[in-house]
Order: sequence, then structure tokens, then C-alpha cells
Amino acid sequence: MSDVFIAGAGITRFGKRDESLQDLMAEAARKALADAEIERPEAIVVATMNPEEFVGEGNFASQIATYIGCARVPALRVETATSSGAAAIYSGFTALASGIYRSVLVVGGEKMTHLPTPRVSELISRSIDPVERAYGATMPALAALVTRSFMAERGVTLGEISLVAVKNHAHGARIPYAHFQESVSLEQVMASRIIADPLRIFHCCPISDGSAALVLTSERTPVRIAGIGHGADYLAIRYRETLSSFRATQVAAQAAFRMAGFGPQRVELAELHDAFAPFELISLEDLGLVTPGMAGRALQSGELTLGGRLPVNLSGGLKARGHPLSATGIAQVVELTWQLRGMAEGRQVDARVGLAQSIGGLATNNWVTLVERV
Amino acid sequence: MVSQILAGYGEIWTFTTLHSPPQGFASPLHIALVTLPGGVNLICHGAETRQLKIGGRVAIEEVDGIYYFSYLGPADRARLFWRRAGARGSKVTSIMKSVVKRLLSERGIDEEPPTR
Repeated sequence: MSDVFIAGAGITRFGKRDESLQDLMAEAARKALADAEIERPEAIVVATMNPEEFVGEGNFASQIATYIGCARVPALRVETATSSGAAAIYSGFTALASGIYRSVLVVGGEKMTHLPTPRVSELISRSIDPVERAYGATMPALAALVTRSFMAERGVTLGEISLVAVKNHAHGARIPYAHFQESVSLEQVMASRIIADPLRIFHCCPISDGSAALVLTSERTPVRIAGIGHGADYLAIRYRETLSSFRATQVAAQAAFRMAGFGPQRVELAELHDAFAPFELISLEDLGLVTPGMAGRALQSGELTLGGRLPVNLSGGLKARGHPLSATGIAQVVELTWQLRGMAEGRQVDARVGLAQSIGGLATNNWVTLVERV
Repeated sequence: MVSQILAGYGEIWTFTTLHSPPQGFASPLHIALVTLPGGVNLICHGAETRQLKIGGRVAIEEVDGIYYFSYLGPADRARLFWRRAGARGSKVTSIMKSVVKRLLSERGIDEEPPTR
């Protein structure tokens, strides 16, 4: 297996955008290609969760290749619900590791803010088990079921869960491309509107437009993908053995650490999938970054904040950076790449190893990516 | 596929009240995952979640292919076991067990969600 390196990273501003999805993705792609000083990649992997419904367009890999002026470069599209961006990195990684290509552009994006919220919610809900959906379960509803179980089993309080949102908003205030760049107080989070008890709106990530891209190469650069892993679980949450952890994350982490040849103790910063604030705490435990039951305490102690032992979601996370579904898994690695290269202005930490975790659906299709400064 | 007769009661695994349910559902929408004796888990609708606790016992009913849970107070629980087939002595034992279990679970980690 050949080593795989990150040669270029690019991102658009996240939030409410007027441009078309194709234009947003072309913008991120051009930035990544310029950063890599590559005019034309050998192949393109495109991640979009549902452009057919969100923007009414199909054959999307070819559309994106055309928009970036690479109509004759082979392009394919991958989809694993909300983790599609991470799946695209995996697809590009395997193509390079196997020696099929020497450079691959990976670009993910979504555009949703032009649609009414109930419509967006309905489209995202299609990644839920059909029986559970028939009972009116939405993503926030399932996340609330998970949250209540996690709180009861781990003794985590809603105050601690709310601190995740406070921390990630504070981080997001330093990020020029973030959807939200304002801090929020614990009181604001705790007093915000209830969505699905016990989750309030400030525990949930926003609906965002945006795109992120990476250029992966087999040619050596300062940042290497040290390991990448994929884990899966039952679509139906009622079939799972536990709701206080996500097997799909645990399996993905094991695979990624096995490939990298090191363990969680070497991870110095992480980008986690906080689509709902409690997911950050669950993920910290699933990844072996904190001892089960200690995630709340690690957060309270400031360990996970800029300047702490293990800064988590310096990009603001899904909560503040925003969550244009298929852009997210790639945006996480873009931020890690800048950190490892020393280009994270205003939030730079001295780290060698970063971890990105992406959750697809209600944790049915999760990914862990380890990047290392070499 | 093998059809099975399921018990008419189960234990609350977790629950939520959804305040922005999808089209076609009234708000608020009460949803619970309930574990039946033997380990089968069902997703259910209910009329309210106010008195629910994780590990608490609820009655389960199926109407038109949809499962519903309802809260069982002490009197409901006694009635539930009294209706069970078996010798009078074993019915009383079941009721006693249910009462003891309830007392124990109330002292356990079952917590009232702090959002109310």
C-alpha cells in the first residue's frame, strides 16, 4: 500500500449562500487545486448527499468536473448520508494507496438553506430506518433518544452537554469561514427552544450551505493520512445493544488506529461530529480519547478547549462552523491540515497528529481519519 | 417470518417528546423505545412522557400496526398482573415483585430530565 498525502486544502464560507451548489463546490475545488499547485487531478471524487432533491440536479460527478474545467477527468460520486465527505476521502485514499492514481481531487458540498426547514428535515430523515420514520422519528428525535440513554448511563448532565455548544461557539468565533462566529452563554443554550426533549435548539447544528475540498497525492507532502477506518451499525436504533455509544465509531477508530500503527494517546487535536452536542461527548469515549464516563469532566476542566490538552472542534465543529452535510467530513480534515501545517491563524496549536470523526445517518456509517505531520 | 405473541408490557429504554414533528403528526409527539420481556425492542407512540422513567414499566398495545405505550401507575400494575393466568399465589407474588422493583428503581439512577 502506497502512502497517501494531503497536497491541497480549500473551503468556502459556510452559512446561507446565494451561489449554486456547483459554483460553491467549484470554488472549494479550485482553492484546493491552487493550494496543491496542481492544474488537473487524475481523478475526482464528489460527495453530495442528495443533490437530486436539494437542488434538483443529477449526474453530479460529471457536473462538478465540468464546473471546475475538468470535464474529461474521470469523476465519481459517493454517498453515505451525512458522512459522505469522509467517504469521499476514503474513496480517494484507496485509489491512491492501491496505485491506480497519483493525484485525486476530493470535493464535497451541500446546499439546503433555500428550502423551508420542514422540507430539509424531511429529506435528512430519509436516512432513518423506514419503520422508525413511520412513527414520526426525525434526526433530532433519534438523537434525543440517544441523549437520554447516554445521560442516564453515564451520569452526564444537560449542563455538561450544553457546555459543548458553548465551547464550539467560542472556537467558531475565531473561524472566518464559520456559519456562526458569535459566542453563546450557557444560559442562552439552556434557555433555548426545546426541539426534542431533552435537546434544545442550541444543542443542534444549523442547516448550512458550503463546500470543502482536498487534493490527495502519492507524492510526499508535510501531511500524511496515517490511517482511515469505516464502521457500520444497524439502520434501526431499536436493534442496537446500546444507545450510550456508537459501535460504528468504535469500529472505525479501531481500523484507523490499526492502519496508523499507533493508539489514541498520540492524538493531540480532534474534529468530531457534533451534529448534536451530546454526540461530541459520546464520540470522545467511542474513540478512546477519554475514559468512558469522564467526557463531561474533561470538558468541564477545559482540556478540550483551545489551550487545553486535547482541543476538540477548534473549527467550531458542526455546531458553529455549520453542517453542509457532505462538506463536513472534508472540512474537518481541511482544518486539521491547516493546523498541522501551522496555518491556523488565531487558533494554532502545536500538534503532530489530528483525528477527524464523521457520523453518517444516526451513526450507521461512520469514519475516522488520522492525519500526521511528517 | 414467524409470528409471535408479545407480552402486553415492557420497560422504558429511552423516550423523548418531539416538538417539531414531521408533516402528518400532531405536536408534541411522544416516542419511546420499550424493551419487552425476552429482549425485543419496540418503537412506540404514547399520550405523554411526563411520568416516564428509564427502566419504568409501561403497558404496550398494538392498534392498526402501530405500537402504543401507556404509563402504569401502581394500581395499573397490580391489575396487569392480576389478569395474568396462573395460581392466585403466583399473581400476588408478581404484584409484590413489581412493587419491590418499583421501590428499588425509584432509588436508583433513574433521573428526572432536567429540562422540565
